[in-house]
Amino acid sequence: MHAVSIHLGVGMEKKEQTIKLKVRNIQKLYDDKIILKDISFDVMEGEFLAILGLSGCGKTTLLRILIGLEKQDKGSIYKDEKEISLLPPDQRGMGIVFQNYALFPNMTVLSNVEYALKRRKETKKTARDTALRVLEQLGMSEHLDKKPRQLSGGQQQRVAIARTLAMNPDIILLDEPISALDVTNREIMKRELKEIQKKFHTTMIFITHEQEEAFYLADRIMVMSEGTIEQLDTPDQIFRHPANSYVKEFVVAHLEQKYQSLLKCTGRLDNEPKRVE
Amino acid sequence: MKKRKWTAVRILIILFLLVSVVFPIAGVMAQISLNDVKKIMVSGQLGEMLFHSLVVTGISTFISVSLAFLLAWCLNRCNIRAKGVFSVLFTIPMLIPSVSHGTGLVLLFGDNGIITNLLAMCIPRFKVNLYGYFGMIFGWVLYSFPVAFLMLNDSFQYEDYTTYEAAQVLGLGKLEQFRTIMLPNLRKTLISTVFATFTLIFTDYGVPLVVGGKVMTLSLYMYREVVGLLDFSKGAIIGILLLILAIAAFVIDLRNEENANTSTVTRQYVVTQNRKRDVAAYVICCFTVVVIGLPIAAFAFLSVVKQYPIDLSFSLDNIYEAFGLGVGQYLENSLAMALGTAFVGVVVIYFTAYLTARSKKTWTTMTLHLISMISLAIPGIVLGLSYVLFFRSTFFYGTIAILILVNTVHFFASPYLMAYNSLNKFNRNLEDVSDTLGISRMHMLLDVYLPCTQKTIIEMFSYIFVNCMVTISAVSFLANFKDMPLALLIPRFDSQSLIEATAFIALVILAVNGIMKLAVFVLERHVKDPAEPNR
Repeated sequence: MHAVSIHLGVGMEKKEQTIKLKVRNIQKLYDDKIILKDISFDVMEGEFLAILGLSGCGKTTLLRILIGLEKQDKGSIYKDEKEISLLPPDQRGMGIVFQNYALFPNMTVLSNVEYALKRRKETKKTARDTALRVLEQLGMSEHLDKKPRQLSGGQQQRVAIARTLAMNPDIILLDEPISALDVTNREIMKRELKEIQKKFHTTMIFITHEQEEAFYLADRIMVMSEGTIEQLDTPDQIFRHPANSYVKEFVVAHLEQKYQSLLKCTGRLDNEPKRVE
Repeated sequence: MKKRKWTAVRILIILFLLVSVVFPIAGVMAQISLNDVKKIMVSGQLGEMLFHSLVVTGISTFISVSLAFLLAWCLNRCNIRAKGVFSVLFTIPMLIPSVSHGTGLVLLFGDNGIITNLLAMCIPRFKVNLYGYFGMIFGWVLYSFPVAFLMLNDSFQYEDYTTYEAAQVLGLGKLEQFRTIMLPNLRKTLISTVFATFTLIFTDYGVPLVVGGKVMTLSLYMYREVVGLLDFSKGAIIGILLLILAIAAFVIDLRNEENANTSTVTRQYVVTQNRKRDVAAYVICCFTVVVIGLPIAAFAFLSVVKQYPIDLSFSLDNIYEAFGLGVGQYLENSLAMALGTAFVGVVVIYFTAYLTARSKKTWTTMTLHLISMISLAIPGIVLGLSYVLFFRSTFFYGTIAILILVNTVHFFASPYLMAYNSLNKFNRNLEDVSDTLGISRMHMLLDVYLPCTQKTIIEMFSYIFVNCMVTISAVSFLANFKDMPLALLIPRFDSQSLIEATAFIALVILAVNGIMKLAVFVLERHVKDPAEPNR
C-alpha cells in the first residue's frame, strides 16, 4: 500500500498513514461555467477532512462527484488504489449524510436504518441487529419507534448518520453537518461527530462554510474558492502559514476577529486554535 | 444502465403523449379546407359567433369570479357557522353536467317553468326572457363558480395576517387594505381563476344548447356541425380557433408570475367582531345555497310528479319511463367509463408526476412536464374531434377504451398537478440518499412515496371519476349508441323534449357523484398520514 507522511491535527505526532482516497484532476463544467478546476488531493485512512469554502466554491459539487451522484467531466477517483469513478453511488463503499437529513418520513427511526440493509438482501435478523446496534451507539435506543417528525434536528441527524453507518461504509461524507442545528445542538453534535469517528474509525469528509467548525473537527482542512484548492493542510499550519492572501483573509483574519467574542460567549477557549503570537 | 432505463421510460411516455395529444391535434389542422374558411369568413357568421362567445363568456366569467370571491370572503373573513358545510354545498354544481344547468333553468324559468307559473299567479303575464344571453349567463355562472370558488378559497386560507396588523397600525382603511394587501396577495390566483373560468365557459356547449335561444356561440356551432351535420372541416376551423384562444389564456396565465409576499412568518387571519358584516355574509351564503338548490329541487320534483304542470300527484312513472329509455344501461356505461378512467388515469398520471417531480430536470422531464400541463389548455370538444379524425379508421374507434383514453388525456392536468405538487414537497435529497444506499427508484415509489401520498391519490381518483360522470365534451363525438355515457343522454333527450327524463338523469348523476364524494370523505378520515406517529 502506498504510504506517505503527513501532519495530522494539532498536537499530534507525525505518523505513517495509508491513502484511503485519491482524487486526481477532477474537472466539472456546467454550461461552460467551470465549477471545479483540476482538483487533486489525497485523504488518509481514518482521517477527518474538512472542505471549507463559501457557497458557490464548488465544494458541494465535489462531494457529489466523490460519491457518484454527479459525474465529473475529467479526472478519476481511487479508493484503496482501485478506481471507483465509474461505479454507481451505492457500489463505492461510501455513505453520505445530508444537511437536511432526508429521512424517510413514513418510517420509524428503526425502519429508516433497517430499510436499506433489508434491500441489500440481508436477512431480517441481521438487518435488525445491525440497526439496533448502531442506533444504540448513537444514543437513539429510546426513540426507535418514533417518526422523523417527532425528533429534534439533532436527533434526526443522528438517525441519518446511523442509517449511513449501518451500511458499513469505508468513507462517510457529511454535507454541512452542523449548520442546520441550533446553537446548543451544534456543540453537542461537534463533540459527537468526533466521538463517532473515534468509535467507528471511519474516514470522514465533511463540507462546511464555517471556519470554526472546520478548525474544531478536522484533522486537515481543504480551503476552496472558485473551483480550486487554495490550501490543504492541518488547521495549525493553515493558521500559522496561510498559503495566500485569500486563505489569510477568509480563514485567519476571520478567526482572529471572532477570537475575542468566542472567548467571551462560549468560554470554550480550549477548543479554539491557539492564537499566533 | 439504470439511468438509461428511466430515460427510456420517459421517452416512452412522451411517445404516448405524442400519439394521444400532439398528433391528433395536428390532425385537426390538416382537416381544415381553405374553402370552408373562406365561406365562414365571408358569411360574417364567424365574426358574429366570436363576438357573442366573447361577450357572453366575459360577462359570465366576471360574475362567476366575483361571486366566488365574495363567497370565499364570507367563509374566510367573517364569523359564520357551518363554514365546512357551506363550502361543500357551494361545490355541488360541479357534480352535474353543464347541460343540466341549462335544463334546470328551463324547469324553473322556462315558459312553463315552476317559478314562472308560481309568479304568474301573483303577477299576471309574468314571463322571464330566459333564452339568450340571460339564460346562458345564469347557467354558466352556476356551472363555473364552484371551480372559481375552490381556487380562491384555497388562497384566502394562506393569507398572512401580519401585513394586515401592520396596516392597522399605520391606520389604513379597509378599502385601502383591500387594494394594497389583499388584491396583490391574491393577484396570481385571481388571474389563474379568471382564465380557468373563462376557458371552462368558452369551450362549453351544454348551457347554450339548452338556453342559448337564437344566439350561437363558437363551441355550440362546432358541436352542431360535427354531431348534427358531420361537417368535420367546419368543426375543425372552430376547434382550432377555440384551441388558439385557450392556449393564449394558458400562456398568459403561465407567464403570470408569483409576486405574493414570501414572508417566512405567517399568522392566520384573525376575524374581528362585526355583527352586520356577519349577518350579510349569512344572507349571501344562504341565498347562494338556495339558488344552487332550486334546480336540484326542480329535478327531484319533476321526477316524482305524474305530469308537470297538469297532474302534480306523486308517481314514479317518470322514473320507470326513464329506465325504459335505457337510463340503467347508460348509467352502467358511465360507471364503467368513469371507474376505468379513474384507475387508468391515476396510474398513468401519478407515474408521470413521479418521473417529473422526482428526477433531475433533464430535457425529457421538462418536455414531459410541459406536455402534461398543456392538456389543460385543450378544450374537450377539440380533443374529441381530434380523436375522431385521428383514430377513425382504427379498431380502437368505437370502443370504451378510446373514451377512457380521451378522458384520461382531457382530465390529465389537474390531477397531474395534485400529484406533482405533493411529490415535490418531499426532501430534495431523498433520491440521492436512495442512490447511495442502493435503493431502487421503484422501491422508493412503493415504500415511501405511495404510502405518504394516499390522500392525494384518493383526491385524484375522485376528481377524475366525478369529471367523467359529468363530461359531455370530449366524449360527445366519440361515443356511439352502445357505449354512450349517461350525461350525453341529456342533450339527446332534451332535443326530444323528454324533460322529465333529463331531470331524472341529472339527479342520478348527482347522486352517484355525491356517493363518491362521501366515500372519499369517509376514506380520507380513515387514511392516516404515515408521517405522523403511530398510536
